Amino acid sequence: MAYLPLANIRHHKLRSLLCALGIGISICMLVALTGLARGSLFENADRWESVGADLIVFPKGWADKIANRGVGLSEKYAKILRENHGKIVEQAAPLFCWPMKVAGQDHVVAGVAPEQWSLVTGNAALKQGRLFDPDNRFARWMEGKLLTPTADDAVVEITEADLNTPDHNGLELVIDTRLADAAGLKLGDTLRAANHNWTIVGIVPAGVMTRIFMPLRTAQYLFGDGDITKCTMILVKLREGVDVGPAAQTLREALRQDVIPPKAYRVTLQEKFSIMLTYVDMVNIIALVIAFLFVMNTLYTMVLERRREIAILRSCGASGWFILRQVLGEAMILAGAGVVIGIGMSFGVSALIGKLKPLLTPELSFHWMLIAAGAAAVGAIVSSLYPAWRATRINMAEVLIYE
Amino acid sequence: MQTSPACKRGVLLIQKTMTNTSTILKATNIQKSFGKGEAKNHVLRGLNLQVDRGEFLAIMGPSGCGKSTLLHILGLMDQPDEGEVTLDGETFAHANARPQRLRFLREKIGFVFQRFNLISVLSGRDNVRMSLRVRGVRDDEYVEKLLQRMGVAEVAHRKPGELSIGEQQRIAVARALAHKPEIVLADEPTGNLDTDNGDALLELFRQINRQDAQTMVMITHSTEAARQADRVLHMRDGLIETE
Repeated sequence: MAYLPLANIRHHKLRSLLCALGIGISICMLVALTGLARGSLFENADRWESVGADLIVFPKGWADKIANRGVGLSEKYAKILRENHGKIVEQAAPLFCWPMKVAGQDHVVAGVAPEQWSLVTGNAALKQGRLFDPDNRFARWMEGKLLTPTADDAVVEITEADLNTPDHNGLELVIDTRLADAAGLKLGDTLRAANHNWTIVGIVPAGVMTRIFMPLRTAQYLFGDGDITKCTMILVKLREGVDVGPAAQTLREALRQDVIPPKAYRVTLQEKFSIMLTYVDMVNIIALVIAFLFVMNTLYTMVLERRREIAILRSCGASGWFILRQVLGEAMILAGAGVVIGIGMSFGVSALIGKLKPLLTPELSFHWMLIAAGAAAVGAIVSSLYPAWRATRINMAEVLIYE
Repeated sequence: MQTSPACKRGVLLIQKTMTNTSTILKATNIQKSFGKGEAKNHVLRGLNLQVDRGEFLAIMGPSGCGKSTLLHILGLMDQPDEGEVTLDGETFAHANARPQRLRFLREKIGFVFQRFNLISVLSGRDNVRMSLRVRGVRDDEYVEKLLQRMGVAEVAHRKPGELSIGEQQRIAVARALAHKPEIVLADEPTGNLDTDNGDALLELFRQINRQDAQTMVMITHSTEAARQADRVLHMRDGLIETE
């Protein structure tokens, strides 16, 4: 019966509001922090799973790492995959990854051969502009410069000016829409990063593997010590009807490298970040405990203040269970209001994060809202038990007659 | 009266007793004291009392003679140090028979306090409804009739703090009568009322007693109030002095 609890809440509006707000803030923390941690993490995993490849070849021992970058694998493996395993491999695309700071945040840049764009991005169409090095002129120029043996084995020097000519412009980028929005970048803009000036030539809808793409040869040359024969990983597209599991095993044995499906990256992410997620969960639990100690204190004060009211109920013959229900009812109403306030606040916080830090992905899940509501209900019950018990111990004679 | 060992241990002691069917309430050798050692104050000193069904009894006496303490013991809100109370055939001794006492408070006893004791956050109407809900009853229609009978239906939406003293007492009476108790105990019900309101309340009590054959026990200082009763007892020093 919410009759008396509601009346009491209405009578003590400010205190009830503060109490519900206290619960609401902890619920908001639970929903928003969890949503932010898991949302940002899994958005990364979602992007990796968006690639059009069935398998990824990593250097031996790299597969369980989450930030693979730099030189690790010879590009020859891509050729071996195509030529020696052509029965099961349809395409093999070397990829060179390296971090680059844009808009105040480190992003993984993927160096991609333009002809492998579909495989790397899962056939994503550009929203604006064009792909870098569309006719492969830059790649051919680089290969000509660096892979053609010279008579005297002289070191080949390539300056920034060489990289950036109208004939073979290698300093071109394709970025995703979220980065474009966050950094205020648009088609044709010049961006200073990694000691070079880059031109934005294309914008791809968000959701592709990384936020920044550049020509494979540029990435290899600039970030791989000038060696354009090495890559970070190779994406493999299997022929139709080939089982991924057995194919991965075959390639693993043949190449003696790590071969994993893209979805394994999600598992690796979860494992690597499990401590962080546990930390977030612990912070949330502590916030909830503090909130419900606050509720307990409020209810306990309420019980002390309402000794006469409880004694009056007793004088009408109210049982201990009836008294307990009044206290419990009030706690549940406050917790319910707290859940509503908290979930409302978490939408606000999420929108605010989206505005202030557009590259973070707070993902508010119904699942966590339910958990938050359940935690609030349990917290309300636990925190009201002692005050309720104290309420049932009030001696009506002492209060009504002698006080 | 000899106190049983079980009773001394504070164990529940309720027994069906053979009583005259016309007797609804019987108090035997009621003793009650407050304080300890030299400061111990013997308020009730082996008091005996019997109330017949349908009777309107007034108990008078000077302040501090133990009237209110007696009424609270008769109404099972407090317990005697010694002695027993038999109410509607069941005997309550000095024991912590809380569930049974609460059941009797729910079913058989209506209490009107001198200070009204209304719940301040509820309206007058909700105070009466609440007393029924405690008893597991929801009957808004009956509550309205009762409030009309008490003459406070028009103002019952107000909270106690917004009601006059007389209106508050009428609401308190409605609350005491709402569950149709066997016996109504009133502790100086006119003590805080002016003459007009006091007279009106006594007239109401008389009506309830006559029309509904409701047993009433009223503590009062007022000779005028006591005149409404069928029988008047005078207390002094914790005992019934005269009848």
